[in-house]
Amino acid sequence: MARSSTGVATDTPTMGIRLAGGIYALNRFLMTLQNKRVPVTGITMDGNSEGSRITLRLGCPEETARRYTALLSSLEDVDEVWPAEESMEVALLKPAAEGWRKSAERARIGFHEDGGTVVASGAPEKMEAWLDSLGEEETDIMRLGPMARPGNGGD
Amino acid sequence: MENTALNIEYKPRTGSEAMCEALLDEGVEYLFGYPGGAIMPFYDALPDYPLKHVLVRHEQAAAHAADGYARATGRVGVCVATSGPGATNLVTGLATAQMDSVPMVAITGQVGRPALGKDSFQETNVMGMTLPFTKHSFLVEDPDELYPTMRRAFEIARSGRPGPVLVDVPKDVMFAACNDNGYRRLKEAPEPLASPALERAAMLLRNAKRPIILAGHGVTLSGAEMELRLLAERAGIPVVTTLLGISAFPDDHPLYLGWPGMHGMASVNRAIDRSDLLFAIGMRFDDRITGAADRFAPNAKVIHIDVDPSELGKVIEPTVGIAADAKLALRAVLGHLENAPAESGCGEWREELARSQEPEKQRRDDASGEYGPIRIMDAIKDATGGDVRLVTDVGQHQMWAAQFFEFTKKNSLITSGGLGTMGFALPAAMGVAFAYPDDEVWVVAGDGGFQMNVQELATIRDFGLNIKVAILNNGYLGMVRQWQQFFHNRRYSQTPITGPNYEEMASAYGLAGRTVEPGDNIEGAIEWARGTEGCAILDFHIDPETNVYPMIPSGMSVHEMIEEDGA
Repeated sequence: MARSSTGVATDTPTMGIRLAGGIYALNRFLMTLQNKRVPVTGITMDGNSEGSRITLRLGCPEETARRYTALLSSLEDVDEVWPAEESMEVALLKPAAEGWRKSAERARIGFHEDGGTVVASGAPEKMEAWLDSLGEEETDIMRLGPMARPGNGGD
Repeated sequence: MENTALNIEYKPRTGSEAMCEALLDEGVEYLFGYPGGAIMPFYDALPDYPLKHVLVRHEQAAAHAADGYARATGRVGVCVATSGPGATNLVTGLATAQMDSVPMVAITGQVGRPALGKDSFQETNVMGMTLPFTKHSFLVEDPDELYPTMRRAFEIARSGRPGPVLVDVPKDVMFAACNDNGYRRLKEAPEPLASPALERAAMLLRNAKRPIILAGHGVTLSGAEMELRLLAERAGIPVVTTLLGISAFPDDHPLYLGWPGMHGMASVNRAIDRSDLLFAIGMRFDDRITGAADRFAPNAKVIHIDVDPSELGKVIEPTVGIAADAKLALRAVLGHLENAPAESGCGEWREELARSQEPEKQRRDDASGEYGPIRIMDAIKDATGGDVRLVTDVGQHQMWAAQFFEFTKKNSLITSGGLGTMGFALPAAMGVAFAYPDDEVWVVAGDGGFQMNVQELATIRDFGLNIKVAILNNGYLGMVRQWQQFFHNRRYSQTPITGPNYEEMASAYGLAGRTVEPGDNIEGAIEWARGTEGCAILDFHIDPETNVYPMIPSGMSVHEMIEEDGA
């Protein structure tokens, strides 16, 4: 039987996009996300006049994400779209309590300390859950998003 | 610079000349436009080139005329406007073209580069403003990029899923000397999906007991009318169309059922509800077709073919989704059906559908004797023998034309479907008339929409266009009034509308007009209009509260369909 598309978030597919440079290309890209109601749950970008590199996390099933991939691929300014299968989120935080190490290990969150700052990294969903588990007293958190990488830990 | 040896003066090419050369190289014949300050260099170059410019009376009309030209010919329509208000006036026309996938290039003048971003006189960010409803847009700041950008704009407009492209050119760039730095071709279009999906589609078609082909505008855009007919005839499958798909398949063909949707035929809506396979091609499951999408075609597997892969699964999740041009896909499916016996499989289904249409035919026949919309449509059809291009505006009359005019000529209905733009018909008909000067072109409009671009009667007179106009004048914004009747307890808020005496107005424009009242001879009036040289306007006064039936209220399903007054 025919099924209508629900757009219900059941997964968090992530895609990488390479975009032409300049504010017009970026503007058109963002306008398309808004115009087509792309269910963006996370976005990070980096770029210069030569081009932009964007990572999008979507709150929709993989099948729907493939449709959005096709849509974005067809934009004139988009040079490349690829599934960012191994996406990772990085967060910097200053934990208030000591229990964070054990909970990070249990949640399979990688971490190292850099000065007084903890650099944590892991899959976006795991990171989300772990940060939530730390409680509201952990106010000093900076999430760098899936584009960032944790570095070498000062080694 | 002067070559003294040959005594030939060489002039560096200007941006404006590069623009005109690009238009010529694209085979453009007509431009629809309106000059102004920032676009003046282009208009200064224009007379030196064999390009025909149609001076409209409002930029919105330029966009609709280019749209009508493109819909009628399949070629890219071109419109031109100046910066600021000229450009903003194009906006409705661009959005109309985008919603219906019409290939168009809009050229706008812009303030000079030094004045950009300074709130200069007649400066607007037209590129930013039109981002949501253009396929692509350019602001050309490098004169050397002008020629290749213009060529590229055409290629983008017509490739894949067609759409409008805006090229915004600062005035000083048009003046500047420029070189032809070559033309970069677009990246290759994606390959159609591999054959297993098409083979699977053919298999589903072969095995279905209650199949229906649902054909949309994509069939017309890709010129796949013949392939559609071959497929339907080879497999014996009934065909329905979307509103924009009307005339992609002949109305008088025994396999044609009509069109579904909010105001489509009740029997067609029920047929989709009962079908076990929907072969949807070149269409996008608009909400006016599906109503409540979760209750649309509840018993059907869905094969969805569209050139735009992002349409697959957007509204209805297909059983088989194929991202391909309609013509190529139909040819491939036909290839897989080569051995199918003619009209196989679903004879009982066709008989059932034929029976289901009888009550509607009877109701139509009963009403066709009375003065009103049905008889007016019948009379135009009978007088022209169907050899006509009909351009409608938006509203009740649009639905009556689609319901009751039998379209037997390919691509003979031009109408604004997706955006539903009132004021579309008259200027779009100009584009159609320029494209086919020997064809009979009729406008069917309401008294509301007709007044929105009525100034174009002057353009029509200037060029002696052979456009006949039938205004279905009920003194209301009729479709809105109908909704107020059904859903707002007959509170007719701001829908009664007056207008001029159209006979006298036609005369003021140097055209012919006639008023037709109930009891007058409809057929005689139509013959009079056809016999009048150039444009003639018929103002049909019709019953103010005639409704369009059936109607599926917005967001509901076939089971909530209203079929007649008091139902």
